[in-house]
Amino acid sequence: MSIPTLQGLQTALSGLLANQAALDVAGHNVANAQTPGYSRETAVMETNPPLVIAALSPTNGEGARLGTGVGVQTITRIRNAFLDAQFRSESGALGEASTGAEVLGQVQGALNEPSTSGLSTQLSTFWTAWSDLANSPSNAAAREGVITAGKDLASTLNQLSAQIETASGEASARYEAITGVTGEVRGDAEEIASLNNQIRIAQGSGQQPNELLDRRDQLLDNLSKLAQVSVTEQEDGMMTVSFGNAAQPLVEGSTVHWPQALTSAAGGQLGALLSLAAPTGPLAGYKSSLDEVAAGLIESVNALQPQQPFFSGNTAGTIAVVTTGAQIQTGPEGEPGANNLALGIANLRGGSADQRWSAFVTDVGSGVQSARQREVGAQAMVSAVEERRQSVSGVSTDEEMTQLMTFQRGYEASARVLTAMDQALETLIEHTGTAGL
Amino acid sequence: MSLRITPQTVTTATMREINSAFDSLQRRSSELSNGRSILEPSDNPYGAGKAIDLQSTLDGLASYKTNVQEAIAWESTASSALGSIGNVIQRAREIVLQATSGVNGQSDLETLATQMEQLTESAKQDSNVQYAGQYVLSGTLTETAPYSAGAEDAYHGNEGAISRTIAAGMTIQINQTAQTLLGNGAEAADGKLLDTLRTIAKHMREATPEALETLDGEDLKSLDANFSTLLQMQGQAGSTIDQLQMAENRIEELRTSTSVALSNTQDANLAQVATEYSSDQAGYEAALKAGASIIQMSLLDFLK
Repeated sequence: MSIPTLQGLQTALSGLLANQAALDVAGHNVANAQTPGYSRETAVMETNPPLVIAALSPTNGEGARLGTGVGVQTITRIRNAFLDAQFRSESGALGEASTGAEVLGQVQGALNEPSTSGLSTQLSTFWTAWSDLANSPSNAAAREGVITAGKDLASTLNQLSAQIETASGEASARYEAITGVTGEVRGDAEEIASLNNQIRIAQGSGQQPNELLDRRDQLLDNLSKLAQVSVTEQEDGMMTVSFGNAAQPLVEGSTVHWPQALTSAAGGQLGALLSLAAPTGPLAGYKSSLDEVAAGLIESVNALQPQQPFFSGNTAGTIAVVTTGAQIQTGPEGEPGANNLALGIANLRGGSADQRWSAFVTDVGSGVQSARQREVGAQAMVSAVEERRQSVSGVSTDEEMTQLMTFQRGYEASARVLTAMDQALETLIEHTGTAGL
Repeated sequence: MSLRITPQTVTTATMREINSAFDSLQRRSSELSNGRSILEPSDNPYGAGKAIDLQSTLDGLASYKTNVQEAIAWESTASSALGSIGNVIQRAREIVLQATSGVNGQSDLETLATQMEQLTESAKQDSNVQYAGQYVLSGTLTETAPYSAGAEDAYHGNEGAISRTIAAGMTIQINQTAQTLLGNGAEAADGKLLDTLRTIAKHMREATPEALETLDGEDLKSLDANFSTLLQMQGQAGSTIDQLQMAENRIEELRTSTSVALSNTQDANLAQVATEYSSDQAGYEAALKAGASIIQMSLLDFLK
C-alpha cells in the first residue's frame, strides 16, 4: 500500500484554506478593533486526522500514519468570565456611588454656601436689619428693612425646601423611568431572553455564536450599572440573570420576570435612587434639618413679637412673613423709642438658627464628600477591571498585523507546496513514459 | 499574568490621565480665580461650617460697630445738652448771688426774676434736644419733647430705658431722662432744677428780707444740689462714652482676629496654589504630549 497520488494536493489545499480562514479572522478583529463590547476572536486550528497506510515499509512491511494537513476547528472569542463577574460587581458599586454623589451634589449646589448670597448671609442681613431698627425704632425705612430681609429669608428657605423635594421627586421619577414598561431593565431583559434562545439553538447545532455572546455580555454590563447582577450559565448556553434583590430571576432561559419589587439594598443606580428617596434617606434627613432651621427661626422671632407674629408656618416650606412694617413691635405699646424687643431679636444673631444652618451645611458637605470619595474609589476599581478585561479581550492591531503576516506567509508557503506537488505530477503525467521519443 | 496592552487600553488610560490632570488644573484655576480653597461645602465640610460661623461673627461685629457709633452720637448729643444746662445753672447762681448782694432795688430784683424765668425756659429748651429725630432725654417716648415751652413744667417723657447691643450678649443703657435733673416744676415741689429756678424767681419777686435770706440760703443750696446731679449725669454720660469707645476698640480687634481666622479657614494660599497650578499645568502638558505620541505609534508605521 502506498500514499495516494493526489493526497499531497489535498494537504496543501487544507493549509491554504486554514491560513485563509485565519487571515479572515484577523481582518474581522482589525475591523472591530474599536467596536464596543467586541471580544477578539481566534481561529482554533487542528491537525487533520491522519491517513493510515497499512504497510508502507518495503523492508519490514510496517505501516505509518501520514498527516493530511490542517483544519479550522472553530472560531472562538477570547473572554474571561471571571473578569466579567468582577466588572459587573464593581460597575454596580459605581452606579450606586455616582448616582448618590450626583443627587447629593445637586442639593449642595442649591445651598449656595459658602457665598455672599446664601442663607447664612441672609440670616446675617436679617439680624442686622433688626439691630438697625433697634437703633431707630420709629424709623419707617428701618421697619421696611426688617420686612424685606425677613421676606428674602423666608423665600430662600421656601426655595431650598422645594429644591430638596424636587431632588427627591426626580430620584423617584428616574427609578420609575428605568424600571417602567418602556424602561431599560425590561428592554435589556427581553433582549437577553431572546439572545438566550438564539444562543441555545446555535450551540445546539455546534456553532459558536460569538456576536450573540458579545451582545449578551454587553447587555449584562449595562444592567449591572442599574443594580447588582449575577449570572449562572446553563448547559444549553442560556443564562439565568439575578437582578438586584428581586425575588425571582430577571431572566430565566427565554422568560422575563419583570416588573418586580426592589429595595434600596439592590445596589447600582436603582438601589441608590431608592435609598435617596426613601423616607429615612438622606434627602428626607436634609429636609427635616432644614425644617429645624426654619422652626427655630420662626419660634425665636415670634416669641419676641407677642402681638402680631412675624413669621407664619412651621417648616422651611411654609415659612412666610405675615406682618407689616407698621405692625412690628420694637418695645411696649405706646413707647416709640423702646427697643427691647428689637434688641432681643437682633441678639438672636449667632443663635440656634445660625448654628443649625452651619451644622446643616457641614452635614450636607460631609455627605457629598463621602459620596464623591466612594465614587472615585469605585471608578478606580471599574477602570482597573475594565483594563484587565481589555487586556484579555481587546484587539491589538499590532498583534493582528503580526498574525496577518504570519498567516499570509503560511498561505504563500502552502501555495508553494501546491506548486511543488503540481510540478511533481507534471513530471509524472507529461514526461513519464516518453523515454526515447 | 502579564497584561496584554491593546491600543484601546492605551487610549483609555491616556484619556483617564489627561482628564485627571485637567481636573486638577481646573480645580486650581477655580481656587486662584476665587481666592478660596473652599468652593463648596464638600471641599472641607468642617471648614465650610466654621467659615459660615466666622462670617456671621464678622457681620455681627460690623453691626455692633454701627450700634456703638450710633450710641456715641446719641450720648454726645445728650452730653452737650447737659453742658448747656450746666451753663444755665452757673448763670442762675451768678444771678442769685447778684440778687442777694443787698444793693438791689425792687425793679432790679424784678429784672433778675425775669432773667431767671428766661433761664428756666432755656433749660427746658436745652433738654428738648434731638438726635436723628428722637428726643434723647424723654425715656422711651422719643417722639415727645420732655418739656413744653411756657409756664407748664411737667415732664412729658417716661423713665424707659434705651439700650444698644455693643458686643455679643452685651447691652448697655445709653439714655438718661431730663426728669432726673429738671423734675416737674414748682407744683411738684421736688427740689429739682425747674422747681429751684421757679422758686428763686418767686422769692426775687417777693423781695422780702425773709425771701432774700432764703435765696441766699436754701435756694442756693438747692441750686448746688441740682448742679451736683448734673455733674453726676455728665459723669454717667462720659463713662458711657468711654465704655462705648472701649467697645469700639475691642470690636476692631475682634474684627481683625476673626478676619484672620476666616481667611485661614477659607482662603486659598495663593503662593502655594499658583505653584501647584504651574506644576499641574506642566503635568497636563506632559500627559497630552505623551498621549499624543503613544497613540500615534503603531506597527503599521513600520510595515511596508
